[in-house]
Amino acid sequence: MKAIFSIALGVLAAIGGFVDIGDIVFNVAAGSTFGYQLLWAVVLGVGGIITYAEMCGRVAAVSKRAVFDVIRERLGFGAGLVALAGGVLVSLLTLAAEVGGVALVLQLLAGLPYRLLLVVAAVGVGVVAWTWPFSWIERVFGYVGLCLLVFVVAAIDSHPEWGAVAHGFVPSTGSGDVVVYAYYVVGLVGAAMIPYEVYFYSSGAIEEGWGPKDLGTNRANALIGYSLGGILSFALMITAGALFLPHAIAPDTLGSVALAAQSPLGVIGLLLALLGILFAVAGAAIDTLFGGAYSIAQFFGFEWGRFRTNVGAPRFTVAWAVLLVLAFAVVVTGVDPILVTEVSVIFAVVALPLTYLPILLVANDRNYMGVYTNGLVANVFGIGYLVIVVGIALAAVPLMVASNMGQGR
Amino acid sequence: MTHVDLGEAVLDHQLLDRDGRRCGKVDDLELAGLDRDDPHVVELLVGPAALRTRGLLGRLVAHVSRGHVRHVAWEQVDTVRAAVTLRSQASSLGLGRGDDRARHWVQRIPGAHR
Repeated sequence: MKAIFSIALGVLAAIGGFVDIGDIVFNVAAGSTFGYQLLWAVVLGVGGIITYAEMCGRVAAVSKRAVFDVIRERLGFGAGLVALAGGVLVSLLTLAAEVGGVALVLQLLAGLPYRLLLVVAAVGVGVVAWTWPFSWIERVFGYVGLCLLVFVVAAIDSHPEWGAVAHGFVPSTGSGDVVVYAYYVVGLVGAAMIPYEVYFYSSGAIEEGWGPKDLGTNRANALIGYSLGGILSFALMITAGALFLPHAIAPDTLGSVALAAQSPLGVIGLLLALLGILFAVAGAAIDTLFGGAYSIAQFFGFEWGRFRTNVGAPRFTVAWAVLLVLAFAVVVTGVDPILVTEVSVIFAVVALPLTYLPILLVANDRNYMGVYTNGLVANVFGIGYLVIVVGIALAAVPLMVASNMGQGR
Repeated sequence: MTHVDLGEAVLDHQLLDRDGRRCGKVDDLELAGLDRDDPHVVELLVGPAALRTRGLLGRLVAHVSRGHVRHVAWEQVDTVRAAVTLRSQASSLGLGRGDDRARHWVQRIPGAHR
């Protein structure tokens, strides 16, 4: 029973952490532009996050170090500070995008002015982070976020050509604009492997007091949680490919995404979709909020953790509060949250190597890891993904410029 | 006699006080006896001001922070594992001051103990 409860960490990571506004935006945009052709890129990204979440969870359980402890120890102060600055900047942009996303969904549900709902979203996220215990956050956002499964029904009901869907799982260079296609590959892999996921995941493992006996749970969480997230991503892309591509609709708001669930299931479907998006995005907002604060606290060595209470980890509390205020300041300017999302994912890709390299190094250090040091399989995937991550990090910004953020030349 | 690589196993590691409180990182190490064949660690240097020897960015951080360097005698070190555990309480070593100051403000807000 305890094992089932502890899987909840993985489910939250999957729904709140994996399926966030970045995944929703990139999967739907990719589906409505290229149909099912990019499904393989989701598989690639999900494989990457499973590989590194398992690894950082194992490092946390065995060596008692969260990701930014490892980064500072391995990269030293200077390079570590660069990684921190990148990580926090990306977390801030992502947080801004998630808060904007929450406000957009609330607007669809309540019909009130967007800026007012931004205040509601930011205050709501702040109150939850301030008052709820970790286990509530984990369960409430994780389980209500499961409403997103309505998109699996929508995907099946949209009667996609299953042959074409199957074909999409085979990597290809795609038909259409190669630069735009490559931009979406980078975006999909980046959204799947966005670094705050491992900051949050490894810190959560330390907060839950994991030890070597929890390695089974760790593996199950990473595998089940992120695979589930992957299935939701497939569903979003397939739905968009079947419903939007044939009519040349470019869904530019979260509302058009949710409408995709209305066609098979009526109003109930629409409500489930909106509720699922709301809780997934709000959960991701809290993950990002804590992810950024965990990073800063671990880098400078001050108290951190939701388990310590707000006053028990005071600078950690101040750090997330400041991040939330700054994120609110970004979106309240009126900048389009979807645009912020795309920018945050692309810059997250640039920051990926500095996050994942130290994890790989420590996971291979016998002094830290003993018998739990990376085996052959973990290293083949770990090194393979590091090469991929470095490649897309170098390509990300040039592709963003060349593809005009996926709008084509 | 165990072999310890100071750069790998001590520098930049988490500091924990006697009660398990996180109270900074090992920002630098003060060594002595290098010229008389008796190299040993004298003290741990803690706090942003101690970063001035840690490259360009460290110098920058030390410059903008106004804190003092905290000197922790090597004799205070209890164990060196993932974290470096000290024999005394953070407050008696002048560590964790930033958290103490922030606590002063945070505890005034309702629900601070949740």
